[in-house]
Amino acid sequence: MAARPATPASPKNHKVKDAQPGQPMYGCEHTQKLFNQDQNTTNTSIQHYKSILRSIFDTNPLISQTTKGSDGVIHTTLTPAWLCLQCPGTLTEEDLVRHGSKKQHRFYVDSRNAALYCQMCDDIVWDPTFEELRIQKQVTGTFSTSRKRKHEELPDPIKDNPTFISANTTIASCKANGLRGIYNAGATCYQNVVLQSFLHNPILRNFYLSDGHQCESPHCLSCAMDDMFQDFYASEVTNGYTAANILSGFWISEKKAFENLVTTKEQDAHEFFQFLAEELHERNGDGKKPEIGSEHSCTCIIHQTFYGKLQSTTTCQNCQGVTNQVQSFLDLSLPLENVTPASAKKKKAGGAKATVMTLQDCLDEEYIKSDKCEYRCHNCSSMQQARRQTSIKRLPNVLAIQFKRFEYKQGRHERAAKIDTPVQFPLSLNMLPYTSRARGGEGKENYELARSCTYDLLSVIVHVGEIDTGHYVSYCRVGDQWFAFNDHKVEVAQLSDVLNAKAYLLFYMVRSLS
Amino acid sequence: MSAPENTGKAGVLVAAEDAPITDKLAHATLDDVLYNIVHDILIKVHRDEKTARANTAAIKVEKLALNSIDSSSTDQRPDVEVETDSAIYKDGNVTLKGNPLKTTKEILCPKCHLPRLLHPTDGKGGKKPDPSVIYCKKHPYIEKPGYDIYGQTWVAPGPGRGKKKKDMKDKLDPNDPSSPAAIMEGSAKDRPPNVLSFPSATCSKCKRCILVTRLNNHMGSCIGNSGRNASRAAAQKISNSNGGSQNNDNTPPGSQKGTPLPTSRAASPRKRDGDEFDEDAEESDPTNPKKKKLKPTALNKKVILKAKSPAATLKKEKIAKGSSMLNVEQKADDIDGNSTVQVAPKKSVPKGPSPTKKIKLNPSKPPVPSPGGKKGKRDRDMESESSGTLSSPPR
Ligand SMILES: [Zn+2]
Ligand SMILES: [Zn+2]
Ligand SMILES: [Zn+2]
Ligand SMILES: [Zn+2]
Ligand SMILES: [Zn+2]
Ligand SMILES: [Zn+2]
Ligand SMILES: [Zn+2]
Repeated sequence: MAARPATPASPKNHKVKDAQPGQPMYGCEHTQKLFNQDQNTTNTSIQHYKSILRSIFDTNPLISQTTKGSDGVIHTTLTPAWLCLQCPGTLTEEDLVRHGSKKQHRFYVDSRNAALYCQMCDDIVWDPTFEELRIQKQVTGTFSTSRKRKHEELPDPIKDNPTFISANTTIASCKANGLRGIYNAGATCYQNVVLQSFLHNPILRNFYLSDGHQCESPHCLSCAMDDMFQDFYASEVTNGYTAANILSGFWISEKKAFENLVTTKEQDAHEFFQFLAEELHERNGDGKKPEIGSEHSCTCIIHQTFYGKLQSTTTCQNCQGVTNQVQSFLDLSLPLENVTPASAKKKKAGGAKATVMTLQDCLDEEYIKSDKCEYRCHNCSSMQQARRQTSIKRLPNVLAIQFKRFEYKQGRHERAAKIDTPVQFPLSLNMLPYTSRARGGEGKENYELARSCTYDLLSVIVHVGEIDTGHYVSYCRVGDQWFAFNDHKVEVAQLSDVLNAKAYLLFYMVRSLS
Repeated sequence: MSAPENTGKAGVLVAAEDAPITDKLAHATLDDVLYNIVHDILIKVHRDEKTARANTAAIKVEKLALNSIDSSSTDQRPDVEVETDSAIYKDGNVTLKGNPLKTTKEILCPKCHLPRLLHPTDGKGGKKPDPSVIYCKKHPYIEKPGYDIYGQTWVAPGPGRGKKKKDMKDKLDPNDPSSPAAIMEGSAKDRPPNVLSFPSATCSKCKRCILVTRLNNHMGSCIGNSGRNASRAAAQKISNSNGGSQNNDNTPPGSQKGTPLPTSRAASPRKRDGDEFDEDAEESDPTNPKKKKLKPTALNKKVILKAKSPAATLKKEKIAKGSSMLNVEQKADDIDGNSTVQVAPKKSVPKGPSPTKKIKLNPSKPPVPSPGGKKGKRDRDMESESSGTLSSPPR
């Protein structure tokens, strides 16, 4: 069902990707031949591959998975179909050989992931020219290399952030990989987990490893971070790290707001995250205090990494007047109580199995549903009933999420309690439904927009145990591999360990940056 | 559409021949989904492996090409023709011969060009590496209970205020499993090299050397005491003396004192906490002038050596890490990472600037393309999204 859009070929000549040292120039001898016939063949091959990519990634998968057999029967499959690179045909696996011998077409594209199959090699080939296009399309959703924000909802592109490539660093040994534990300096595991999540945050890593922070202030916490990044990524030491400078920077910090934190008792990792973010903002940013609730537009590395914007829309029930309020956020704080799991509504009848709450349930509750409130309406000049709805106006590059597991219980004995409810969270998260744009009804069925709002899980911070005797551990992803961090100890983690954890803090990074 | 068969493409989940059609459909669908999962994993693994082998073939033939010319030449792309079983070097370009999965058996590190060790040295799937081969220092991670990814384990943090840790014992040096005190000093030589001890660090204020597990307590009173925190720190001291000692238990629950305070400051949005909006604060217009465009600028603008600046000398607490690092660097046969045992970071040494130690993103080299690496693509292919479709496919 070759329903691919056919637009006139661009007059531009396409180029085969330049040879790179340590890499072959072509995926196999046959793509080599393809690219060395003439400019026209190269042009059409690359153009056609791009249109196949668009068809696979930007349209309903039904289109690329629908084939027309030799018998003329149209067939849609769940399993991969093969899109011919040299004609508009889409074929089943069984038909490949016949199509190949009949038409002399030798290259086919897997409809699930756009991998290129070479019939003469009888193998998938990874041709640098095609691969570059495929990854561009799959990751960033576009062939355009401009990093401008296309939609208001999308995160700002990171300014000046060099891509970190370990092969590209001058001195670092192959052994220096950023994987080290951090010693517990006495109930400091709440700091360690946050530090690990910063260490394995690619944006912050690139910033510090490219000397993004330069200053001469004594006792600067950002300088201490800089030192720590160097020690993790430039040295071969595998022993745990002693975060003495971070700790003394923490103790020296003048932030009165954090008096709660400054004790030698175990503290809240979320508060430490906020402390660290604000302290690093002050060391790198515009010098202004990050105002809570206001639209503060700093371009420091912390703001570029974590900050997004929320929009609250309040509609007066009397005059239907609408009030918008925008505020910045460092993280999304999600209550776990009074959340109705979507699965609970669907199968009320079943009842036997306990329904599991998901992260999406919590987000639905906060950023899709509206609630009633009272407010002073300007038009009506009086207190009125109003509906209020909050959505995300600007997504951040790294989305920090806190589950409110520690809450004051009002009652006879007002004391803190821990909510131990498990919450399922996905490896990749589509944030489009929670944006103001989706609120306006836009964006449905827009695969490209949905992909640019896709986030991949980066790290998970877990509080284990009771509220006052607990311990913090964390999981961080490096490439595709997950690691468990328990103070000085780093272990390989299975995906199931990560996804079964009772998360307290989650960090997701927008996919287009990965 | 024809009636569904009783299984899908994987053929693993098969419905009975006489099963109702919905049953067959369910089996077929589930079986197809299973097929897709395996297919996706396979494609990923195939890509990693085949790319690594293809690059190995390229590295090898490039090395041969460089060796074949006059060693005094600095030409990185010599104009020679060299051929191996797996690749051809010609006109400065490498092309493959045959399928690298068949022609190339080992994997060379793209960075140091040494062979990669393909199995861990210990634990799950562990094998002893060939002692005659110098491997790349990046090893597969070790999965072994009680040990970390480098095969390291730790002795108990020491005597004194730390409680004795039951679960620590099985990780202790077999020579003295019950006596943490004996491990403290002088016994480093008796321990296997992968058994590490807790280091000490220097307090930035009083310059005393403190065992890391007591650092927070110490700084709390030492630094915290100096100013506004004096009274609190004093109070702290008292509270710490009654059993508030720390330990480095490896098991998560029940070991550390922990009181995550629920009185979180309100930097995160709490839309339901405030009851009403102040109407004066309404309507922040997104078009206001603060919208700065964050255009990416050239890579090399960013990367500046900073260590030459006086800043380096101001960083009194900078860790003297250079010497030990270089030592390790020279030991090419150090494959176990054992050289890290001695590293109780000596922070007391005030250091002059030593710019070369810093890891840098090298601005002069062209970025090596990697999946997702987007630099270096900037200047090519700016064509718009909507054009560029094939109108007449090549024959
Ligand atoms: Zn064809
Ligand atoms: Zn081929
Ligand atoms: Zn600084
Ligand atoms: Zn800032
Ligand atoms: Zn009104
Ligand atoms: Zn290497
Ligand atoms: Zn001191």
